[in-house]
Amino acid sequence: MHIPDGFISPQTYLPAYALAAGLWGYAARRVHRQLDADTLPFVAAYTALAFVLMMVALPLPGGTTAHAAGIGLLAVCFGGWMAFLAISLVLAMQALLFGDGGITALPINALAMGLVGSFCALAAWKLLTRLHETLALFLAGWLSIVVPAALVAVVLGMQPAIAHDAQGAPLFFPFGLSITLPAVVLPHVLVGIAEGVLTVLGYRYLTRLRSRLAA
Amino acid sequence: MTRLSFITALFCLFAAWPVHAHDLQHSVDGAPAVVIKLFYMGDTPFAFEAYEIYREGEKLPYQVGRTDSQGRIAFLPDRAGAWRVKAFSEDGHGLDFKLETDTAAVPSNTEKPAYERYGRIAVGVALILGLFGLLSLYARRKKPQ
Repeated sequence: MHIPDGFISPQTYLPAYALAAGLWGYAARRVHRQLDADTLPFVAAYTALAFVLMMVALPLPGGTTAHAAGIGLLAVCFGGWMAFLAISLVLAMQALLFGDGGITALPINALAMGLVGSFCALAAWKLLTRLHETLALFLAGWLSIVVPAALVAVVLGMQPAIAHDAQGAPLFFPFGLSITLPAVVLPHVLVGIAEGVLTVLGYRYLTRLRSRLAA
Repeated sequence: MTRLSFITALFCLFAAWPVHAHDLQHSVDGAPAVVIKLFYMGDTPFAFEAYEIYREGEKLPYQVGRTDSQGRIAFLPDRAGAWRVKAFSEDGHGLDFKLETDTAAVPSNTEKPAYERYGRIAVGVALILGLFGLLSLYARRKKPQ
């Protein structure tokens, strides 16, 4: 799902950087107030897990690959703002160390996966957890992948309309929405299942571990 | 009459000359090429995907096409210098990197990541854990037990 460098126009990534910078600052203030030394090792472990998950590409039909991300898991375990910062950190490290997801695309990846993904997961979990906790956790994980994928597809698909030369040839990503939406979203509908299962298992494990440590 | 036939035949021959431009010919030759292989982690090839190659600083591509079934691009540089390679799939995967080559298609100074991939995963995990370790220390100092 990460957008590489060279695919996004400055007209898109500069405003995205401004928006993301403001939200990173706000999230840091929110998280700082709730900073808890007992929770941080768990956040560290799940952030590291998210980093590793994003490096492991799953081959999908059609020759493409996708990966789970641990976004829903971070969101339901530690809250939306912490998840936003943790996923942003992972994305920044991937861009700097691996070239996975570009520096120019970082704010778009962070806003789509870190912010929108986390808060979609959190909303699904909070709305449905009283009805059926397992279903709520699964949907949280599923939505945390599928909604950001749709957002990334829209941003990519809009590039030919946003940035093109005098002849109308795209200057950055060349495919329009009719191509990007199915190409990006459909594989992630499948990956969302893995993400949903991961969220259920990861949340249950953390709850058990915390109660065992508290006893 | 014979003369008239000859002139008519000559006219037809010249009138049909532009048709020869559509008679596509081919030659087969071996030449040194730069071969770029694109693949996902786990060696899954980036097969049949679009790519563009540009001479440094130019906006019109030098070569466009699709990778082969093994995820490879072969191109023959017409001069020594830097080249920009862009490859992209419809689902947003891709790369945009530079390489340098001489006229004999020997690449040099290709942009390579600083660490090998698996090593870098370990470095990434260590960095994350280290960063959160520092945050933990800070949080403990902030709220002494």
